[in-house]
Amino acid sequence: MPGISTICFAASYTVALLLELARLRLSGRALRWLAMGFVGVGLIAQTLFLGHRAAVAPTAPLSSAYDWYLVAAWLLAAVDLYLTAFHPQVPHGIFVLPLVLALIGAAQLADHKPFPRSPAAQVWGSIHGTFWLLGAVAVMVGFVAGLMYLVQAYRLKQKLPAGSGLRLPSLEWLQRVNGRAIVVSVLMTGIGILSGLVLNLVNHHRDQQDELPWSDPVVWRSGGMFAWLLAAALFGAVYKPARLGRKVAYLTVASFVFLVIFLAVQLLDTGEHGSKGRGEQGAAKPQATREAEQ
Amino acid sequence: MQLQLVGCSHHNSTLDLRERLAFNPTQAAVALDRWRERFPAAEAVLLSTCNRIEVYAAWDVGAAGPSHRQVAEFLAGFHGVELPDIFDRLFEQSGEAAVRHLFTVAASLDSLVVGEPQILAQVKQAYQLAQERHSAGPLTHEMFQAALRCARRVARETSLYEKRVSIPSVAIGEFASQIFDRFDDKRVLVIGAGEMGQETLRFLQDAGAREVTVVNRGGARAAELAERFGGRAAPWEELDSLLVAADLVVSTTGSAEPIVTRERFARIEPQRYQRPLLILDLAVPRDFEAAVGDCLGVYLYSLDNLEAAAQRNRRERDRQLPAAEAIVAEETARFMEQMHHRATGPVIQRLRERWETLGDEELRRLFGKLPDLDESSRDAIRQAFDRYAKKMLHPPLEQIRDESRAGHPHGLIEALKRLFHLND
Repeated sequence: MPGISTICFAASYTVALLLELARLRLSGRALRWLAMGFVGVGLIAQTLFLGHRAAVAPTAPLSSAYDWYLVAAWLLAAVDLYLTAFHPQVPHGIFVLPLVLALIGAAQLADHKPFPRSPAAQVWGSIHGTFWLLGAVAVMVGFVAGLMYLVQAYRLKQKLPAGSGLRLPSLEWLQRVNGRAIVVSVLMTGIGILSGLVLNLVNHHRDQQDELPWSDPVVWRSGGMFAWLLAAALFGAVYKPARLGRKVAYLTVASFVFLVIFLAVQLLDTGEHGSKGRGEQGAAKPQATREAEQ
Repeated sequence: MQLQLVGCSHHNSTLDLRERLAFNPTQAAVALDRWRERFPAAEAVLLSTCNRIEVYAAWDVGAAGPSHRQVAEFLAGFHGVELPDIFDRLFEQSGEAAVRHLFTVAASLDSLVVGEPQILAQVKQAYQLAQERHSAGPLTHEMFQAALRCARRVARETSLYEKRVSIPSVAIGEFASQIFDRFDDKRVLVIGAGEMGQETLRFLQDAGAREVTVVNRGGARAAELAERFGGRAAPWEELDSLLVAADLVVSTTGSAEPIVTRERFARIEPQRYQRPLLILDLAVPRDFEAAVGDCLGVYLYSLDNLEAAAQRNRRERDRQLPAAEAIVAEETARFMEQMHHRATGPVIQRLRERWETLGDEELRRLFGKLPDLDESSRDAIRQAFDRYAKKMLHPPLEQIRDESRAGHPHGLIEALKRLFHLND
């Protein structure tokens, strides 16, 4: 968008992060309000940026890997703003904003070209992308809560003072958020997987060029990611200690590590769903071409 | 306006005296009714807590208000004590000093434990009772509303109330609340019936704890404590199973040896499934071996840990005190300026009316001599008169406002009355 680039909102979030770090040492409402202000400004800029991209997109709006990362960053930044506004004692920004900046950074490495979609597949494609996005954000929220839990548990075990700059939520609250994050991420990614399967079947039946072979690595990676999240959720449901105390935090942190690996491989992937496996138009290779290569 | 405070507090009186002069809610209501009968022209609010008994009275200038001695007689008469026994042990303040004292009390700066938050609710309750019994009026309303605003401002602009300094409040407010989000669904186990344990239990109940189990080697004391706090007593032999079920343990036995060793805890640990357990070991010597705190999910705090936290908080509170006191001084000055300015209101109103009346008379005389003036010319002349009057009145009124900041502008007001014949 003319006048607004990713640097604009990334810079805002960076300043907000520095202000949140300053809150660890300095007390006072001014820092909190300033941090909120910078996150708010960043969100507005990012909203305008994404809105412009959605408006000028030749195909479905916000349907490239690049957009996906930026929307995930937007969602997390909105979560941070909400938490800072309504839970002001906790400097959430020092946990959440680095993730936001990492997602913006990852977007720069992702493919800018939109996933081509026939009208018939657009709905399922949008559902697929949206629910994977929500699932990823849930994993990140769980990671932040898990990290906070481990920090808080360590502090309490060591009998360290709360300090004026860092008041974390209670262990019970963090444990609850952890547990819910796992459940939500399973639901969201599960719907994302199912809609992806339906999308592929739709493309298959309509003989579309975008059909993804079932052997494509992303199918297996997605399945693996979902399987891990499902296992974590079932583990907590069946094994009581897994939903209490630090074990829940370990599960959400491990889920985040899985997610990072998944996204990193996705960025470097040469498969047909991956960023680097696309042709001139960003389309998956046509079936005829795949057959010829075989 | 006349303001007066008569009372006693932990600073200048013994517990014995305060116990003799204390009012429970029923007695306070009766006392306020009797006050209205005895001093109908004076408003009153009665503040009675375990650390102070104070009567705040206010009445208009010229009205019949009570003297210090009369208030002391009232208190002595109500409680059936001899006046000489209490008169010299009551303090008295009036005017700005009384206002400052009230603001200081409401902001918890005069409390036994500075910064304890209960006093604000107690001041509010005292004022609400006075309203219900119709012993409060517009003057005490202004004063107490200003006191509550001052206390809220201290809470907002300083971190005085955030820092807890008593062992039980640190235990619950700082440590327990960092582990648990709520207490109404938590199982609390009290081991022993010591004083500190009871105090901690009080804080827990204030925080919402409902399910309390007391266990003590002496069953009778456990039963008594349990009944007082609405819990249940359990036999000493059930200690292990109670430790399995508990979320929060408060231990205050007088045992010479630890009652829960690491070995003993290891036997029950698997049954807890690493559920978080907060242990407040308030006994000296300790009831729980330090190694119990190394178990997964167990957060063990001894008296030393809590005392260290309380000391840190005391230092932090001391750092916040100057800011809090500055707020009290500022709010007191603002309140007094408003009261002084309000007291000048009737005189200023009469001055304006007098000026307008004279102006209207002259305008009528002028318009009578100039009957051919059109309406727009008349308006122009009226506006000129208004501007002239405002310009003439502005300097004296501004001066009165400025003088009000420093105190009641008696001299100026009297001068205005005499110069302009503004008699009642």
